[in-house]
Amino acid sequence: MSDIAGTKPALRWIVHASVLFLVVLWVVPTLGLLISSFRTSDQIATSGWWRSLFPSEQNLTLRSAAPETQVQENGIYVIEGNLFDDGTQATISKWGVSSRAVDAFEPGQTAELRKGGTIVVDAAGNYRMENPEEFTGSRGARVFVSAELPPEFTLANYHKVLLAEDSTDSMGRAFFNTLTVTIPATIIPILVAAFAAYALAWMDFPGRALLIAVVVGLLVVPLQLALIPLLKFHLNIGIGKGYLGVWMAHTGFGMPLAIYLLRNYMAGLPRDLIENARVDGATEFQIFTKLILPLSFPALASFAIFQFLWTWNDLLVAKVFLIDASGQTTVMTNRIVELLGTRGGNWEILATAAFVSIAVPLAVFFAMQKYLVRGLLAGSVK
Amino acid sequence: MKHSLYAGAATFALMAGAAYADKVTVFGPWLGPDQENVEKVLDGFAAATGHEYAYVGSDSFEQQIRIDAEAGSAPSVAVFPQPGLAADMAGSGFLTPLADGTADWIRDNYAAGQSWVDLGTYPGADGQDHLYGFFYKVDVKSLVWYVPENFEDAGYEVPTTMEELKALSDQIVADGETPWCIGLGSGGATGWPATDWVEDMMLRTQSPEDYDAWVANEMKFNDPKVVAAIEEFGAFARNDDYVAGGAGAVATTDFRDSPKGMFSSPPQCYFHRQASFIPAFFPEGTIVGEDVDFFYFPAYESKDLGSPVLGAGTLWAITNDSPGAHALIEYLQTPEAHETWMALTGFLTPHTGVDTSVFSDPTLKKMNDILLGATTFRFDGSDLMPGGVGAGTFWTGMVDYAGGAPAREVADEIQSSWDALD
Repeated sequence: MSDIAGTKPALRWIVHASVLFLVVLWVVPTLGLLISSFRTSDQIATSGWWRSLFPSEQNLTLRSAAPETQVQENGIYVIEGNLFDDGTQATISKWGVSSRAVDAFEPGQTAELRKGGTIVVDAAGNYRMENPEEFTGSRGARVFVSAELPPEFTLANYHKVLLAEDSTDSMGRAFFNTLTVTIPATIIPILVAAFAAYALAWMDFPGRALLIAVVVGLLVVPLQLALIPLLKFHLNIGIGKGYLGVWMAHTGFGMPLAIYLLRNYMAGLPRDLIENARVDGATEFQIFTKLILPLSFPALASFAIFQFLWTWNDLLVAKVFLIDASGQTTVMTNRIVELLGTRGGNWEILATAAFVSIAVPLAVFFAMQKYLVRGLLAGSVK
Repeated sequence: MKHSLYAGAATFALMAGAAYADKVTVFGPWLGPDQENVEKVLDGFAAATGHEYAYVGSDSFEQQIRIDAEAGSAPSVAVFPQPGLAADMAGSGFLTPLADGTADWIRDNYAAGQSWVDLGTYPGADGQDHLYGFFYKVDVKSLVWYVPENFEDAGYEVPTTMEELKALSDQIVADGETPWCIGLGSGGATGWPATDWVEDMMLRTQSPEDYDAWVANEMKFNDPKVVAAIEEFGAFARNDDYVAGGAGAVATTDFRDSPKGMFSSPPQCYFHRQASFIPAFFPEGTIVGEDVDFFYFPAYESKDLGSPVLGAGTLWAITNDSPGAHALIEYLQTPEAHETWMALTGFLTPHTGVDTSVFSDPTLKKMNDILLGATTFRFDGSDLMPGGVGAGTFWTGMVDYAGGAPAREVADEIQSSWDALD
């Protein structure tokens, strides 16, 4: 690389820097999503994910134990304990007992409680409340602390998405439903498009150029245009909402790209090869199955990845053609939207569900990514 | 002979069974915990009538019910969060009128019964008025949330009139603090919390008749009375001293995040005006009634308009006629259907025949008392306006207003968008 004629070191540095910049630009949001998936919703609402990696100074509102735990020592009533009842290791720098003066006291100082009595809090969060009269009320006293807290992460979101009682069933069902949608919706268009692409690339018939132009034109038609007419059509011919309908819809919507991609690839195969086969007496079908299909494997694989990712991540087509009022045919994407709640505030669940949901597409991508690049480039570079 | 008798009986039993065990599909806007709650009610329906049910929720209910109805794959019963949408669909002939006598039942058993009947009655495809929607589960919107312990620390009292509320807000400012947390952000629906403010202010400055005229556009949106109500909202939201983060933050703060300022240390604000559902977005572990409480968003003592309450509700309508669907609407008229959800969370009802002691916590009972004690109950106006205004230019106009546009100009724009609809 370094010996390529005409490449100046300065230019190389610019190339490297911009590659690095682009990589960071793409990775940072994903990283943020990943970190957010390990945080609680309150943490997400109060501080950015980039601050969660380091110990941070936080203002907390904690509460002492309830008056029912008080004991009598030498005639005074005492409540003792630690403010961090979950065993958090934190160092308190300032504290207070009123929301108007949250940092009025240093650790070890004594504060007067509004309802009577005194309280002492040390740096580790241990407190002792004393009162000559009985503590009353149903709840403990509020203590406001400024404390240095270590980073804190939780697996609760993943537990909720994957293992929680009611969600395991529906998530599992949604997973298999999604596979039921995705696999046929990937294979059917490839099968159909491969035949069509061969015909458009290598068979002479009148109107071929026009047909190709129509296919290219269809690439830019937004599928939203066809949703309701197509659904009405499905209901009229008796398919209704269901897997068959969603397979057909995905097949139809994926077909222009599939034919276009495969035709370009097949058209780039050596003409001699196909003419030799014709001279040798091979039928068109034999040429297709024995020569074209094996040679087109990279293009087929790259389209398969596209179509798989698109159907896996699809929500719109599934909502229109599949998900009916019976509730049995939900898919992963829809399930994730449901997890967000009625008013859509559960970001932590969204982040977690996103990572659960991309596991399969990632596996598919890494297993087949060499074909993706080859398939994309093969048609263009001669 | 005997054989054929058996066969006849079996056929009859099969037919009866088919008619009896109708599968009722219900499509609504609830997801997550709300979905579990509605399913408990529907379990009761299944147990009481023998019909089976399936509930599906969606966050894009408004769009999806249209797609399903247009395409002919509608569920048996749809739960509309907005009467405006139900009216549109009734006009297109997608809804089935409810059974005769339902209107009488609502008049007799719901507080302010006639207004609930009116809200569910629309002209159908034949041009005739029918009762299409049955209200079940309502929200009270005229609530102000606060943290009682912060009030105790500062020595503040809960205000009972609008004058007191404004005086207390000024005092909080004088004490060097910020009284209000207001956030209008809500993704594609950004601006809706402000429409509730304006509606509440409309009810507190003008008569209920004016409010109705405004919602029906008989009173223009740029009428001085409406502009004055918008400016009443501005007195809170556009006052830098009044709002946490300053007036500039109002339009950009998410409504789900805005109440969290009350719970921070030290508190960023003392009041948050929002409907009865908002506790779902309070920090985890917050107990309503102890950590946080609410009071009725008070009326002006000087205006003598009684105690108006703004509310909203979900209306159940039959989108695919079947005996099971009618049986479900009938079941919703039983006290049991209301009490099931009352014992859970987040449910209020105008049904006067229910046992209010079954409310899961005293705060819900307190809210329900506000609802039952209202001298005027008015439904969320933006839900009643045509979608293009109530779920469109009213929202965006309020964002513009919060951003500094003059109220008059915003009102003119909303009115011209309303004119353009016709």
